[in-house]
Amino acid sequence: MSEPAARRTVIIDETVRVHHLLDREEVLGPLMLAPLLIYLVALVGLPLLFVFIYSFSDATTGSDTFNFVGLETFQKTIADPVFQVALRNTVVFTVIAQAVVIVLATILGFVLSANFRGKWFVRFLILLPWTTPVALSALAWLWMLDSLFSPFNWILGQVHLIDQGTPVAWLGQDSLAVASVVALQAWRTLPLAAVILMAGLTSIPPELNEQAEVDGAGFWRRFFDITMPLLAPIMMVAILFGIVATFTDMAAVYILTRGGPGDATQVLGSWSFYTGIQGGSLAQGAAIGIFMFPVLLGVCILMLRRASRTDAF
Amino acid sequence: MPGVDKVGADLLARKVTRRDFVKTGSLLALGATSFPTILAACSTGGSPSKSGPKTLKILQWSHFVPDYDKWFDPWVKAPPSQYEQSTVDMSDVVKQVEKKYGKQLDFARLTNFNPHTNRYFGFTYSFAPDPGDYRQSFFQQVGMANGPTSWEEMLTATAQIKSKTKGAVRGGIGFSPEPDSNMAARALIWSFGGSEQDADSNVTINSDAVVGAVDYMARLFKQAETAEVFSWNAASNNQGLVAGSLSFILNSISAYRTAQASKPDVAKDIFFSKPLSGASGVKPLASEHVIQTYIIPKFSKSQDVAKEFLLYLADHASDFVYQSKLYEFPVNPNTNAQDKLYGQGGWLDSDPYKSDPASKLQVLKDATTWSVNVGYPGPASPAIGEIFDKNLLPSMMAAAARGQKSPKQAVADTETQIKAIFASWRQKGLVGGTK
Repeated sequence: MSEPAARRTVIIDETVRVHHLLDREEVLGPLMLAPLLIYLVALVGLPLLFVFIYSFSDATTGSDTFNFVGLETFQKTIADPVFQVALRNTVVFTVIAQAVVIVLATILGFVLSANFRGKWFVRFLILLPWTTPVALSALAWLWMLDSLFSPFNWILGQVHLIDQGTPVAWLGQDSLAVASVVALQAWRTLPLAAVILMAGLTSIPPELNEQAEVDGAGFWRRFFDITMPLLAPIMMVAILFGIVATFTDMAAVYILTRGGPGDATQVLGSWSFYTGIQGGSLAQGAAIGIFMFPVLLGVCILMLRRASRTDAF
Repeated sequence: MPGVDKVGADLLARKVTRRDFVKTGSLLALGATSFPTILAACSTGGSPSKSGPKTLKILQWSHFVPDYDKWFDPWVKAPPSQYEQSTVDMSDVVKQVEKKYGKQLDFARLTNFNPHTNRYFGFTYSFAPDPGDYRQSFFQQVGMANGPTSWEEMLTATAQIKSKTKGAVRGGIGFSPEPDSNMAARALIWSFGGSEQDADSNVTINSDAVVGAVDYMARLFKQAETAEVFSWNAASNNQGLVAGSLSFILNSISAYRTAQASKPDVAKDIFFSKPLSGASGVKPLASEHVIQTYIIPKFSKSQDVAKEFLLYLADHASDFVYQSKLYEFPVNPNTNAQDKLYGQGGWLDSDPYKSDPASKLQVLKDATTWSVNVGYPGPASPAIGEIFDKNLLPSMMAAAARGQKSPKQAVADTETQIKAIFASWRQKGLVGGTK
């Protein structure tokens, strides 16, 4: 009679063990992280590995076999004049867009952290561009900057700044096309930076500014001597996010200008796509993409260092 | 809804432990991953039966003439020669169709056959001609009611129209990274006696003829166009023609068909011209606007069904011609569409889709004699495909038009890029030639 009783006890103990297992940090932690890690390995890690492998090969989109060719693909890539333009554009567009973003995001941060009626609605409106997929927002901008149907041209025509029927070619002139791409990149990365800076501003103890004001410090003095130094670390986070989003993006250029006029707005992402996917030279497309890696690696290191410093506090 | 409120209150009142969260989360995750499977099963009416009918999956773009999709939707655009190594040999399909309906036209053969590897990597069954499309009312104003016959006439007329309308109506040849600009650049180069490559796949872009074509384009831009031509997408010239902002474009009849439905008055004013002549003694040519080529990937489990479908398609040429509203023409000379399309009193003589006048499309009756493939006089090889997809020729034209380079320099720089592309594909054994 003792055997069945022993079996019952074992079943109850098993349940308790599972429960205890889930209560242990060293089990639950990896378990919770596993989906994210699988996602990152499958959708980021493996493709990145393939990019490295392809860039040293002669792979094409039409064949599942390839040979390793050493640095030959890189030599061809560096010799390509359009690649040189794309590399320069990628850096220049990112720097200008992020400079614009930091200035505007700081202003917006002050506005958003102030108290006024309808503050939440304004915050919602400012966040909207960030929540919209870049392809969708680029399509909307494409329509707004279209040579035939641009509402900007219509408005300029209505106020007689241009003749009706002779539209400004927003995307057809080098300087305007570059400005349009930079504006789109700034517009879509601005909301996140503004929210990050708003959070930074609200975390600065108000007593510091109040005390300085009592001591006679004006707005600019307080801004540069108190606010900016305290905001700088969080501003760095906003810049790093913005660099990643702008440097790696191809959708804005692909949809807005397709790299034109000529190759005036070609960036690494779009030229990699034209070469590797559309043109079929997968290896060279991968090699073009590799040139984004050092910048992104640098950004990652900076982000990790920032995170580890925060942990130290 | 007191019952619902109570359940909600119970849930909120209940303390959710980490253990509960993990349990519930696991169930939700399981549900979420199962959902697509359930949906797929529902949409196919249950689990697929091994003995059930075979399924053919076709990947095709949306047609430029939307009504064609309604006809074709039960079934689809396939890509070009870069996929040769991964596609099923189609010589059996091509031979069977040729046996019934005559030899493929040369430009179709050069599109689905690689002479270097001696292999049919695809099956081409139709093409769309790429005539000139012009607004007659504008050309009437400059004494050219029947449209231009040469590139010089077109430049003169569009420049005069632009001047008369104070810039409101402009020329419509694009210089942009998009397909229509690619085709226009090639049509111009051929009509000036140049080409990207010769019949044996040797690069021939750097020639006086091509430099002359680039010089012409720079003049056309300065006299008849504005910077908008550098920013166009594939739909822009259609839209400009219908909107009355452009007087002349190179395109298929798709814009016209769209206008017939949405703006009949505009459609009545749109007429078509044959390819424009360039250099004297050179036959004027136009690129095929679209050439429908199917490939079957080697991994396909439905290769037989796919081939069966393609044979069916070839057997029903008159259907695809009619359903595409005469956008697509067959590439074999003796299909069942031949008489209906080209015959005396046929569709091109009397448009069943109510053109006014009914004979408006007659200009396309000899389209098979002036249409050529991308890459003419050589094959549409992967190298030619990459040059097309990287928009090198429109960019070459644009560089000269924007004054960044002289026509000679623009051509020389493009030659360097093209030669690198050819060399790369030759290494893979897919492209012939040595130069």
